[in-house]
Amino acid sequence: MSIVALGIIIAIKVVVILAIILGIGAYLTLVERKVAAHIQRRPGPMVVGWHGLLQPLADGIKLLTKEDILPSSANFLLYNLAIVMALVPASLVFAVVPFGPEIHVFGYDIKPILTDVNIGIIMAFAFGSLAVYGVALSGWASNSKYALIGALRKAGIIISYEVVITFAALGPIMLAKSLSTYDIVMAQIHQKVWYIFLQPISFVVFVFALLAETGRVPFDIQEAEAELVTGFTVEYGGMKFGLFPLVEWYVEVLSLSSILTVLYLGGWSPINIPFVGFVDPFFFLGPWSGFIWFIIKVTILFLLVLWLHWTLPRYRIDQITTIAWKVMLPLALFNILITAFIAPLLRG
Amino acid sequence: MQASEKTLNEIKLRIPYVEVKKDKLISIVYVQKELLINTLKTIKEDFGFKLFIDHSVIDTLEAQNRFEAFYILYNVDTKERIVVKTKTEHSLPSIERLWFAGKWAEREAYDMFGIHYEGHEHLVRAFMWDTYSYFPLRKDFPLQGYENVELPSLNETVFGDNLTGTMNYRRTHTYVPTLKDLEYTEKNRIKKKAQVVLNWGPLHPGTHGTMWFLFDLEGERVVQTDVILGQLHRGVEKLAEHEPYQQFLVYTDRMDYISALCSNQAWTVAVERLLGIEDIVPLKAKYIRTMMSELQRINSHLLWLGTYALDLGALTIFLYAFKEREKIMDIIEGITGARLTISYTRIGGVRMDLPEGALEVIESFIKFFPKELKDWEKILSRNRIWLKRNKDVGVLTKEDIFFYGLTGAVARGSGVFYDIRKLEPYDAYGMVDFDVPLGENGDCYDRYLVRVEEMRQSVRIIEQCVQKLKTMSKNEPFMAESQDPKKLRLTLDGIGLKVPAGEVYSSGENPRGELGFYINSKGGLKPYRVKIRPGSFYNLCVYPHLMENRYVADAVTILASLDPVVGEIDR
Amino acid sequence: MIKKVFEKPLNFLETILFLDFIKGMSITIRHAFTKTITTHYPYEKLTPPKRFRGFFGHKTVNGLEPQPVFDEWVDRMKIEPRPGKSRCVVCYLCKKACPVPDLFEIDGGKLENGKKVVSVFNMNLMLCTFCGLCVDACPVDCLFQSDIHETASFSRKDSILNLEKLEAIGKSWQDRREHEPDRIWIDDDARQALWRENKLNLKRVENA
Repeated sequence: MSIVALGIIIAIKVVVILAIILGIGAYLTLVERKVAAHIQRRPGPMVVGWHGLLQPLADGIKLLTKEDILPSSANFLLYNLAIVMALVPASLVFAVVPFGPEIHVFGYDIKPILTDVNIGIIMAFAFGSLAVYGVALSGWASNSKYALIGALRKAGIIISYEVVITFAALGPIMLAKSLSTYDIVMAQIHQKVWYIFLQPISFVVFVFALLAETGRVPFDIQEAEAELVTGFTVEYGGMKFGLFPLVEWYVEVLSLSSILTVLYLGGWSPINIPFVGFVDPFFFLGPWSGFIWFIIKVTILFLLVLWLHWTLPRYRIDQITTIAWKVMLPLALFNILITAFIAPLLRG
Repeated sequence: MQASEKTLNEIKLRIPYVEVKKDKLISIVYVQKELLINTLKTIKEDFGFKLFIDHSVIDTLEAQNRFEAFYILYNVDTKERIVVKTKTEHSLPSIERLWFAGKWAEREAYDMFGIHYEGHEHLVRAFMWDTYSYFPLRKDFPLQGYENVELPSLNETVFGDNLTGTMNYRRTHTYVPTLKDLEYTEKNRIKKKAQVVLNWGPLHPGTHGTMWFLFDLEGERVVQTDVILGQLHRGVEKLAEHEPYQQFLVYTDRMDYISALCSNQAWTVAVERLLGIEDIVPLKAKYIRTMMSELQRINSHLLWLGTYALDLGALTIFLYAFKEREKIMDIIEGITGARLTISYTRIGGVRMDLPEGALEVIESFIKFFPKELKDWEKILSRNRIWLKRNKDVGVLTKEDIFFYGLTGAVARGSGVFYDIRKLEPYDAYGMVDFDVPLGENGDCYDRYLVRVEEMRQSVRIIEQCVQKLKTMSKNEPFMAESQDPKKLRLTLDGIGLKVPAGEVYSSGENPRGELGFYINSKGGLKPYRVKIRPGSFYNLCVYPHLMENRYVADAVTILASLDPVVGEIDR
Repeated sequence: MIKKVFEKPLNFLETILFLDFIKGMSITIRHAFTKTITTHYPYEKLTPPKRFRGFFGHKTVNGLEPQPVFDEWVDRMKIEPRPGKSRCVVCYLCKKACPVPDLFEIDGGKLENGKKVVSVFNMNLMLCTFCGLCVDACPVDCLFQSDIHETASFSRKDSILNLEKLEAIGKSWQDRREHEPDRIWIDDDARQALWRENKLNLKRVENA
């Protein structure tokens, strides 16, 4: 392909990904509020637009028009840099997520993935680790006791669960014999089995690590209103305050759910009967059905995360780190041991 | 029961220098100030009066030995209560070594009367700020205080308000504390030993009301804590000396505002005991009062469960509990007319009979409620996260209960059988059948289980009351008729109700602990001294002990399981 | 009499299969598909019950006064009853019964025929606790509490009720709600959103 065509394709991919992520991120706030409200037997936002559909717009306008504050003894550079360091790495994970199978458009073969590097999974986890900067910087720069305690707690959790999530992900990587995200999905399609059936322990560990990294119940000790009001974001106001939950709770959940779909649920493949084949009710859409299946799987995972959020109580900080190092890490290592026996049995 | 003649005679044999007195309502032991500590020690250890109920002071305005101090103690095994009294001019020995609850009661007596306690570890004011210069409950301090500050906000005229006379605000005000006063109070309250002193409160979504905690933190571990109270202090005990007995009912609503009817009932029963008319209160009124009080108990425990789960992260239980609470408030609004500050009982009965349809609605509520409770227990009781957060957190032994004067569900969670409804029955509690749940370990999990089980027992009591009320006709009286209207005037509005001279201590089982009223009357329309013994105040005094060497995250759990409400603590 | 409370700890199978989480989640998902229980204020409102303790009013003389009490008090205090105006006999019993000393300001004026009528009756509701002791004290069923509870205003003047406002509230109450039966509440249908799950089945009212 010529350089110009390549450039145009990459530009289109970047714009599509950014628009979808940030646009969906805002509307996911409405989805969460509606689901939480119905679990609690009340209707949720109903006044702005039909059944509240314009609520995110109203929230966005409200947050953007608030006063931009800076505490008098806060460090100006770090205070504003923390927001950038929170938003950018979370969005970058989407660079290595494959959304569907290879499609042929206007005579070009396009893989719907921004960059198909052969170390895709490592890139994803590396970007996740950068998230700790946003937390630590904002807690320090706010110059307040509550923010400091919240930031230290959150940073501790993220660092512990980074280790856990990497070891848990080693299981599917061993089965697929590759680190590239596209290749892992192709391996599941060729072997005709979703790795969730072969790796149940590792799936559960990964789900818990997902909840911990993104700060969702039962690991949301950071947002424990009863103790620390809002933890490390307590000195922020307006849209800067609105950006932290947007990044943590929605963009990061979407990105880690996408990685989870890729690793365990077969990416864009339709319903799977283990070792036999695939059943696709949307076969009439041709290659575009893969995108629909990817979206369905990510949606189901997001709703599962919401369901857990509004049911369970939360752990204490020392219990969270105890669970990470004493329970989850040994389980992940045990899983690797078992996988070492299974992997040679799977051909191709 | 008051301590029997036998016990008093044994005490007089053992300690010859005291004087004893007993009448129908109260048993008193008089002692000199110098021999007070030895007397209390003997009564506590040798005669078994281990549970500390209350301590305060009366200003008798006599020339010599102006202040009369009293200590109320209870013996859980023989169910006897005794009052030890002494007289002093301006100082007393501190009973901190005998009962820790005495430390807080002495801070309050110092704040209100100016009595100095020798041997007290850290004598600071309980409710007022440390640079306040008066002692409000003395008889020479006027009811309005010294109004010599002009506040600009009271003197604005917007919209051309020209209200005249008593329909307008007074232009001057008493002294209001400044930021410097509060900072001085904060620095004086705790001596810093570790890294950081964190202020938890007074405005915070996690403390149940406006309490101000100071944590001395080493990383995430708490080394010592202390509490600054008084943000909601309204001077109810001073107001009681200027209000007739029936009119004071309105103030009892606003102390424990979550279970207002139980506080109303406790005050009404106390005055009825002082008048001696407990037997002529009609049966219908007793059953109605019991039923409404148990509805309020479920109401209060639902609020406790909702906020407890909310503080620990299970956010939906809060809204489920409030759904049931909304139904109870609808019932109470239909019967009495108000939802929060109820004032439904009158001295001698209740204000109005039940309306049509009330009993059917209550029946349909209690038929559905136990199923909901079972569902919520499925979410919480055996959840591993809930167990991990609550087991072995905030353990209280039986000796702790007596040493800190704890009552209510906190005492029952540790296995002490202390329930005023069974030990000293009032109203219809002697005529209904119910169990008292007791825990074993005394940790937060046991207190949670005890309160949930109490809700079920309340449903049982309400069922029996509803069955009994269905058999009573509409024409049965709901208010007592006085035999001699010239001597004792019992009306719905309480004008002209004269109470003979005497004193009584009577308590009721509030959902939060034991709410007791010590009324000292010298005859006439208004009482001479009313001391309110709030359950939440003494339940809170164990908090610094429980928080030593714990994480900040446990602060929320322990505070929620003690279930304080600030209106009662600060009065 | 004593009931020991106790819960079994989790066994091994429940721990690895997360049965405690699954049971809890089944409860919440069942609630998510049940109807909501809220009323959308201010588009839908509930009617307060007859005994509701809202703002005060004076009932007017219209032939339905409690006899013979009213005639006795009119004779004793030498009052001239005027139809359509307040029933107040200036006995000061409400002021005596109120816990707040400065709330009521009552005065009566003399007419030419030697009889009295009430001329000034101010209630400072900024001090009121809405306890109802004054309503209990009134001997001629004049002072009462209506169902007005939406009372936000911009000026302190609106919290002072004088005789005209009291009579207006009283007349409106006597037209709207005097004939309601003494039932726990009157708007069964509006309350069904909350009470539907209890399967509440009250007898219908005769004249709603």
